[in-house]
Amino acid sequence: MNVCYDNIQTGDMMPPYTSLPITRTHLVRYAGASGDFNPLHHDESFAKAIGLETVISHGMFIMGIAGEAITAWIDNKCLRKFSVHFMGMTQPADLDDFENTKGRATITVTGKVVEKFEENGEKRIRCDIIAQDALGSRKLSGYFIASLP
Amino acid sequence: MADKSKLGFEFPTGYLRVEKNKIAEFAAALSQKDSTNDVKKIYRDEDTARSEGYINIPIPPTFPTGFAFWTAGGLFGIIDKVGADVTKLLHSEEEYEYFAPICAGDMLTAKMKVADMYERGRKERKGRYFEITVLETEVFNEKNELVLRARTTFVER
Repeated sequence: MNVCYDNIQTGDMMPPYTSLPITRTHLVRYAGASGDFNPLHHDESFAKAIGLETVISHGMFIMGIAGEAITAWIDNKCLRKFSVHFMGMTQPADLDDFENTKGRATITVTGKVVEKFEENGEKRIRCDIIAQDALGSRKLSGYFIASLP
Repeated sequence: MADKSKLGFEFPTGYLRVEKNKIAEFAAALSQKDSTNDVKKIYRDEDTARSEGYINIPIPPTFPTGFAFWTAGGLFGIIDKVGADVTKLLHSEEEYEYFAPICAGDMLTAKMKVADMYERGRKERKGRYFEITVLETEVFNEKNELVLRARTTFVER
């Protein structure tokens, strides 16, 4: 990657990143990979018992997708801070009604550089990020700080 | 209801080796790939990772979310310890500070504690009252250097 401090200006956009439509299988794979086995994310009977229509994604899966967006642009080793606030639940796409439900399960991450500064002897940027589905519903907002060459 | 006497509670120290295959599995989950052979090369090939300046395969930025689940008795072990109710639980914020790269092969020590507990809103207003718990985890490498600090905020509605 060739992102360097002198070539970045405040107001620059991070290249947007869009996930595949999230399915229940993606949630199960994330559960196994992360160790987060809250039944809210894979067991319909539990989701219904607590008043939800269906299972919802782990918030951390959406944050992980935001991490994919960031590290497609900035090297992992440049990251200094990554902070998010979760805003909305994400229902997976239904395979028996995929066309009508894929939008709610497709996450696009966008970001904008809001600050350039020096700290701890490093040249750093702060970039605000937002993740939302294809219907415009926001899932998380936050920011990252990266040290750039 | 979260048990406020748990404020300051320190979980038993967790020890874990960062496993190469676990990184690839996590990267496959995030990039929605069926096979770990399809993840970015930096997450599955040591030589690629080294050529990009890492001592070994690096972790994805949110990989540390698993440290607590693997070392602190799983989600339910953690929830039981703070006295929270899983049916009312929402994860509201997550923050990582990175002080040095974490890579495959690293032997890490994780110290998690209940850093804060507070309420928002008034109890008599249904749907407008929340109990908030903040867990803070500090992760150290073999040289006892702080490599990561994580803050997890969850809410009981």
